[in-house]
Amino acid sequence: MDKYECTACGYVYDPAIGDPDNGVPPGTRFEDLPDTWVCPQCGVPKDLFRKLS
Amino acid sequence: MRIVVVGNGLAGTMAGKTAREILPEAEIEIVGEERYPYYPRPNLIEFLAGRLPYDRLFAFPEGWAERQRIGLRLGERVVRLKPGEHRIETASGASLGYDALLLATGSRAAVPPVAGVERRGVFVLRTLDDALALVERLSSSRRVVVLGGGLLGLEIARAIRGRETPSEVEVVEFFDRLLPRQLDPGAADLLKSQFEKAGIAIRLGAAATEILGAEETSGVRFRSGETAAADTVVIAAGVKPETGVAAEAGLEVGRGIVVDDRLRTSAPRIYAAGDAVEHRGRLYGLIPAAFEQARAAASNIAGQDRAYDGTIPSNTLKVAGLYLTSIGEIDAEGPGAESRLRSVPEAGLYKKIVLRDGRLTGAIWMGTKTGAAEIARLVALRKDVGSVKDALLADDFDFSELA
Repeated sequence: MDKYECTACGYVYDPAIGDPDNGVPPGTRFEDLPDTWVCPQCGVPKDLFRKLS
Repeated sequence: MRIVVVGNGLAGTMAGKTAREILPEAEIEIVGEERYPYYPRPNLIEFLAGRLPYDRLFAFPEGWAERQRIGLRLGERVVRLKPGEHRIETASGASLGYDALLLATGSRAAVPPVAGVERRGVFVLRTLDDALALVERLSSSRRVVVLGGGLLGLEIARAIRGRETPSEVEVVEFFDRLLPRQLDPGAADLLKSQFEKAGIAIRLGAAATEILGAEETSGVRFRSGETAAADTVVIAAGVKPETGVAAEAGLEVGRGIVVDDRLRTSAPRIYAAGDAVEHRGRLYGLIPAAFEQARAAASNIAGQDRAYDGTIPSNTLKVAGLYLTSIGEIDAEGPGAESRLRSVPEAGLYKKIVLRDGRLTGAIWMGTKTGAAEIARLVALRKDVGSVKDALLADDFDFSELA
């Protein structure tokens, strides 16, 4: 599963960890995050993330 | 159509990106004073701490701007706007015409009137060049004083302390507690002790009057007459919107560049977005606000009518690794007011609610994010929680009871 990085603030979404603080369990792929999900660090939407190589 | 953007920070970059998405054929050029392509500013803290290498600071892969057909003029300062001629002039003598201009000039570090700030060893942290200079200094620094105990000052102190070979660090705050707007004395005390546990000294109620030393910094003198030794001083006293060229060109400027709900300034064809902007009397200095403004401004420039009606700031922030939610009243004052508190200092946990005649009027939630969004919503509703006010602070409280 790919990690994604927020291009606005640098936060890295790691699917192995998820975002439990916002109700996203570990193991959730970035693609499967709801469209309403925002960067937990800076609040910008999902489309501002890019895949980490 | 030719769009010129001044500033290659978040607002300028996101505006350029949005304009390109809407207008595949437009000519887009970004003029940036910094020599570097866009990087997220929070990355500088990670870089300072040694957790993020230089080449990972930047948001987009090499060649991104070229592929987007966005022209980048970096290391170039805009010195003059000529709204009547629809042109701008840069320090290197270039004169650039535009059909639409976006000012995304951001903000710069505020430096308070302290004697001796010109000495070697005094730094701010705003740009990548600032960060590079500070990192180089830290390799031979033994003791750092950070002037300013706000969010940035605390982050800087923690980053320096987190380096592989950390210097001693002391944070100096003018108020008698940390984050006085967000925290009551109890929560501020707890936060202070968390920092002290991490090896960071905190000096409260102290106003610096002078940076001491010959050419090199040797310490700081305070109004009380006391001094603190330091070979390096970092000033973290807030930021000031960069409004200079806009004001000189006669644009309406208050504390920031004044814009309407379409992000238009008072001059035709000139828009503004980001930290430099004053919208409905308000300055944000927050990433989501800069981002929303940039998108709305670019959309309007591209001919789509898009209103921006403000950004609701998140009540939750992360300070030095700790979640902190602070909303509404933080102290119970006056008739009918009461509070409930639960504090677990070892865990860095501090929860407090303030009620007025049973209705929730404020809360502090520190050290956890669990229940933070729920409590913020209840405060916004001024919910009557009189019957559960004691149970509410338990870590396993079921908020669905109050739905």
